[in-house]
Amino acid sequence: MKVAIEELSKVEIITKEAKVAELTKEFGKFGITGMTVYDALGCGVQLGTQEYEVEKNTLPQLLPKQIVMVVLPSKEVDGFLEFVEKALYTGHIGDGKIFVSPVTNAVRVRTGEEGMDALKEGALD
Amino acid sequence: MEEKKIGLASVVATGVGLVVASSCLLTLGIGAGSIGTTFIITMVIACLVNIFTLLSIAELNALMPNLTGGLAQFSLACVGPFVTIICMVGGYILCNSLAGSVEGAVFGNAFAEMFAEYGIPAWVFTVILIAFLVITNLNGVDVFVKVQDFVAYALILSLVAMGVLGALGIGTGEIVEQPEALATDFGSVTSLCGAAFFLFVGGEYVVPLNKNCKNAKRDIPLGMVISMLIILGMQTFLTLGFKNYTNWEDLAGSTTPQMLYGQALLGPLGRYWMLVITLLAAISSVNTILGSLAYILMGMSKIGLLPEFFQKTNKKGAPYIGIFLEMAIFVVLNVTGLSSADSISYMISVLAVLWLISYIVSNFNVILLRRRLPDAPRNFKTPLGYTVPILGILGSAYMIYSIDPSWEVKLSLYKVVLITLVVLGIYSFIWVKTRVKRPLFKPYAIKEVMAMENELYLSYHSAKKRVK
Repeated sequence: MKVAIEELSKVEIITKEAKVAELTKEFGKFGITGMTVYDALGCGVQLGTQEYEVEKNTLPQLLPKQIVMVVLPSKEVDGFLEFVEKALYTGHIGDGKIFVSPVTNAVRVRTGEEGMDALKEGALD
Repeated sequence: MEEKKIGLASVVATGVGLVVASSCLLTLGIGAGSIGTTFIITMVIACLVNIFTLLSIAELNALMPNLTGGLAQFSLACVGPFVTIICMVGGYILCNSLAGSVEGAVFGNAFAEMFAEYGIPAWVFTVILIAFLVITNLNGVDVFVKVQDFVAYALILSLVAMGVLGALGIGTGEIVEQPEALATDFGSVTSLCGAAFFLFVGGEYVVPLNKNCKNAKRDIPLGMVISMLIILGMQTFLTLGFKNYTNWEDLAGSTTPQMLYGQALLGPLGRYWMLVITLLAAISSVNTILGSLAYILMGMSKIGLLPEFFQKTNKKGAPYIGIFLEMAIFVVLNVTGLSSADSISYMISVLAVLWLISYIVSNFNVILLRRRLPDAPRNFKTPLGYTVPILGILGSAYMIYSIDPSWEVKLSLYKVVLITLVVLGIYSFIWVKTRVKRPLFKPYAIKEVMAMENELYLSYHSAKKRVK
C-alpha cells in the first residue's frame, strides 16, 4: 500500500439539518474540495431530552440530525474547527458534536491518485 | 413566518436614539461651561470606558446570543439570582423608568412653553406623546425601528449641523472672545467624568435587537461602538461651537444651554431649531426606553425573576404588559409633577451610580466566564485578554468616585445608593427565597439560561410546580 505524503484528517460534524447549508458554503476557505452529507438519528448525553423539559429521558430518544464528513490536510484542522464551532454555536443543547480522526490514505479510483492528490482537482484531468 | 431583518444602520440608530437624550444636552452644557473645551478630554475618557463595557457586553452576547433579557440573563449565568435582581431591577428598570419620565417631561415643558398663552399643563403634552409611542410600540419591532430611524437620523444630522456651524464659526451670531479652556489640570478634567458618563450611557440597548439582525455577529458590537463614536463626534463639535458663541459662565448657569447656544449661533431660527432637536431627543429616548424595557422585562420574566405575565405578547409580538406598565410609570410621574422637581438631577446621579454598578457586574461577568468556559466558541471576544473588562471595571469605578466634584454631594449620593441597594437586597432576598427557590449566589448553567428562552420551558416547569 502506498503511503500518503501529506497528513490528512477526517472531520465528522453532527448537527441540525438547518445549519448544514450555512456551514458548508464557507468550506472552500480551508481547501476543502468535497464533502459527504448524510442523514442520521442519534442522541448525546441528554438521551434526546429537549432542553426545556424537566425530567431527563431514561431511554435514548433518537433525534434527526445530519452528518457532514470532510477530509482535509491535518494542518488546516485547528482553523477549520474554530470556524465550525463558531458557525454552529447558539449556546443551546443540540448545537452538535465534532469528531476528528486521522486518515492514512485516500485514493481517487478513476485516476489512481492518492493522498491529497486524490482530494484536489486532478493533475491528470 | 419570515421575520423582518434589520441592518447595521438600524442598530446604530437605536444606539444613538437612546443615548442622546435631551438631558444629555443639559449635561454637555454644564460640563463644557465648567471647564471649557477640555471637557472634550473628559468626554473621550467617559466614551472609552463605555466602549470597554459595551465590548464586554458584546462578548457576553456572543456567548449567550438571542436572549431577550440582556444583562439580566448574562448576570444570572455568572453571579446567580440575588445579585442579578439587585443590579437589573436597581440599575435598569428603576433607572430607565425615571429617565423616560424625565425625557417625557422635557418634551411636555417645551410644548407648554410654545403654547403658553393657552395655559395647558405640560403633562398633557407628555401624555399625548406617550400614548402615541405606546401605539407604535404595540405594533411590534418593525414600526419601532421605523420610528426610531427617522427620529435618530433627524437628531444626528441636526446636532452635527449645529455643532459644525458653531465649531467653524460660520453662524450668523456674534463670535465670543474667551479662553478655550477654563481648567487644564488632570483633577478638574477627570472630576467631571461622572457627568460625562450621562452622555454615553445606554448603548447596550441594541442587544435585544440581536434576534432581528441580519448579521448579528458583526452588527451588535460594531453598532454599539459606532453609536458611541458618533455621539462623541457630535458632542465634540457642539463643545467647540459653545466656545465660539456662548459665554462659558452663561452656559454653566443655564438650565437650557442648547437653546442658549441656538439663539447665539443663529438667532431665533437657531433657538427654534434647538427646540425641535430637544423635542426629537425626548421622543427618541422615550420611544427607545418604552420598547427596550418591555423586552427586558419579558426576558427577566422568562428567567423567573419577574412575574410570568410580562411574557404575554399581542398579535404583533409586542410585550404589551411591559409597555403598559412603563406607560403608567411615565404618566403617573409626570402628572404628579415628580419629573419636573429640582431634585431630579440629584436622583439621576443616584441612578447613574446604580447603572455604573451594573456595568461593573457585566465586566466582571466576562472575566468569570473566561475562567469558567475558556474554550467555548465566542463569535466576538474582546481583544488583549482580560484588559478590556478590567479597564471597564476600573473606569466605571472611577466614574462612581467622580460622580460629583463636591464631596458633600458625593457622600450624600453614596448614602442614598446604599439605602437603595439595601432595599433592593431585601426584595431580592425574599423573591429568590420564596419564588425562585434557588441558592442566592449560585450561577445558573448557560444551557439552562438558554433553555429559559424557549416558551415551552415555562409551560413544562409550571406544570411541574402544579403537579407538586
